[in-house]
Amino acid sequence: MNKLLRQYWPFTVAGVQSTLMYSVNILFFSLSEVLYCFVMFYLWQAVFAASGGDSFMGFDMNDMVVYLFMSNATAYLTASAADEMIADEIKDGSISMRLLKPVNFTASILSMDLAGPMVMFFVVFLPMTAGVEIYRGVQCGCVMFDPLHFSLYLVSALIAYLLSFYQNMCFGFLAFYVTNLWGMGILKKILLKFLSGAVIPLAFMPPVLREVLRLLPFSSLSYTPVMLYMGKLSLQESLISFGLQAFWLVAFILFCRLIWKCAIRRLSVQGG
Amino acid sequence: MIEVEHLRKEFKRIIKDPGLSGSIKALFHPKYEIIPAVEDISFQVPAGEVLGFIGPNGAGKSTVIKMLTGILTPTSGTCTINGKNPTADRKKYVKEIGVVFGQRTQLWWDLPLRETYGVLKEIYEVPEERYRERMTMLNEVLEMDSFMASPVRTLSLGQRMRADIAASLLHSPKVLFLDEPTIGLDVVVKNNIRKAIQQINRTEQTTVILTTHDISDIELLCSRIVMVDKGKKVYDGSLETLKNKYGTMRELSFLPEEAQPFSSEAFLKALPLSAADYTFSEENGRMHLRFNSEKMPVKDLLSFTLSHCSAKDIAIREADVEEIIRRLYREGVQPDE
Repeated sequence: MNKLLRQYWPFTVAGVQSTLMYSVNILFFSLSEVLYCFVMFYLWQAVFAASGGDSFMGFDMNDMVVYLFMSNATAYLTASAADEMIADEIKDGSISMRLLKPVNFTASILSMDLAGPMVMFFVVFLPMTAGVEIYRGVQCGCVMFDPLHFSLYLVSALIAYLLSFYQNMCFGFLAFYVTNLWGMGILKKILLKFLSGAVIPLAFMPPVLREVLRLLPFSSLSYTPVMLYMGKLSLQESLISFGLQAFWLVAFILFCRLIWKCAIRRLSVQGG
Repeated sequence: MIEVEHLRKEFKRIIKDPGLSGSIKALFHPKYEIIPAVEDISFQVPAGEVLGFIGPNGAGKSTVIKMLTGILTPTSGTCTINGKNPTADRKKYVKEIGVVFGQRTQLWWDLPLRETYGVLKEIYEVPEERYRERMTMLNEVLEMDSFMASPVRTLSLGQRMRADIAASLLHSPKVLFLDEPTIGLDVVVKNNIRKAIQQINRTEQTTVILTTHDISDIELLCSRIVMVDKGKKVYDGSLETLKNKYGTMRELSFLPEEAQPFSSEAFLKALPLSAADYTFSEENGRMHLRFNSEKMPVKDLLSFTLSHCSAKDIAIREADVEEIIRRLYREGVQPDE
C-alpha cells in the first residue's frame, strides 16, 4: 500500500499542480456555474408560482434550491477529465511516455485525475455546501444539517466519482479509434447532465422514464448522492441505490479493462 | 539479447480526394489505403553490443523502435528482448529498458529536475543507496550540477537531453533505446552524451540501440549497423565493411570562372575515371562530381580539375549516411557475413 502510494502520489501532485495553474479559469468557470444555478432558481420559482401549490412531487421550493445547488456541487466533485487526458495524449503522442513507465496505465491516469476533485472539494464544494446550509437554516430557523446524511452523501459521491472516471476512461479509449473526441465529448456531457438528473430531478420525470433512468448508471452520478444528502431516500431505497452504484462501478471497471485490451493494440503513436 | 523476426507494421490511411467535396466524401465513404511502414525486418543483437540503426527520414526506424519498446503492436512478426515480448507484459518489460526519444521528454514538465529523479526513483523502485550512487555517477558524466534545481520546462535542449538520458539510465536498464539522442545539439553536448553512452556500455554491458543521422555518432559508438530504407533492411554489418565499400565516395563541387567557357562534356571526356566510378550533375551553374576516391585520390582529381579549367569556390564533401544509403539502396547490396 505504502509502495503504491509512493509510486502514484507523484501523478496526483502533478495533477494538482496543473489544475492550480489554471486557477483563474476555475474561478471564472465556477462563477458562471453559480450564475447558472441562480437562473435555474428563478426558473423553478416561476414554475412553483404558476403551479399554485407549495410542493411539487414531494419537493418544496427550499428542497428545489438545495437540489439545484447540491447537484451542481456534486458535478464538481465527481467531474473527471480522464477522457480529455487520454485524447490529448493520443493526439500529441505523449501517451508513449506514459506507456514506457512501469506503472498501470489506468491507475496512473486515475491518480492524476483525482487531483481535480481534491482541489474542487476545497475551492467549490465546501463554500457551496456552506452556502446551501446557511440558506436552509435561515429559511426554517433551525439547523438542517444532518451529519449522517452528509456522510452517506460523501460515500455515494466518491463512488459516483469513480463511476464517472471509469465511464470517462471507456469514452476516452474511443480516441484510439477516432483521434478527435471534442464534438462527441460535448454531446456526451449534455446528455449526461440531463440523464443523471442534474438539470431536472428524476422524480419529476414521467414514471416509466424515471424508473428506467434510475436503473441506468446515470442516476448514480448525481441523483443518488444528492437525494441521500437531502434525506429523501428511505433506508431501503438508500440500500438499493448504493447497490446500484456499486453494481455499475464494477461493470464499468470490467468494461474498461476489456476495451483497454482491445484499444492498446490499435494504438498508433503519432509524431517522431 | 534482442531477436527481431519478420517484423511488419502497417498503418491505415484515409484517402481523401482533393477539395471540400473530397473531404465530405471521405467523411461518409472513407476509403482506406494500407501503408506498410515496416516490412519484414529481422535482425539480432547480442547483449552488450551498440547497434546503430540508421536510414533516411521516414524509413521506419522510429516505428521499429516503438515496437521494440512495446508502445506499438506489430502487425505481424515478433520481437523478443531478453526472452520477453514487449507488448505481452508491458509493466514488467519496461522496467528492464531505458528509452530516450530525442523529440520528447519523459521528465515532469513542472518539477525541478532533482524532484523528477525522485519521482522516477519511486516509480522504478530504485533502492535509496543505489539511487544516490547512480545519481553521483550520472551527474559526473553528464555534468548536470548547474541545472539540477531548475524546473524541467526552463532547461535548454542540450540540458534537457542530458537530463533525459540520465533519467533513462537511473534504473540500470539492460537495454537502452535511443531515438536520435543527439538531434539539434552542439558539439560539446554531443560529446558529453556519447561519453555517457560509451561508459554505460563498457562498465555495465548495457545493450544499446540507437538511431541517428549523425555519422560521427555511428563512428564513435557503433560496432555494427543495421540500415533500413522504405521499411526494408538494406544493410546489416560492421561499419568498417560499409565504409570500405561505400564510404570512399567524395563529392567535389565547383563554380567555373565566368570569363572562361566551361564545357562539361570536354571535362568528363578528359577525366581519367570509368563511368561506374563517378556521377556528374549541374545545378545553377555549379558542377557536382561524385567520384570514388579509391580509384582517383582527392588531390589528383583536384589538380586535374584545376588544370582543366579555372574554378572558384571549390568544396569537397565526404559521403554522408544518406548518401551511402542512397547508393546502397540503388545497388541492392546483400548483407555481408
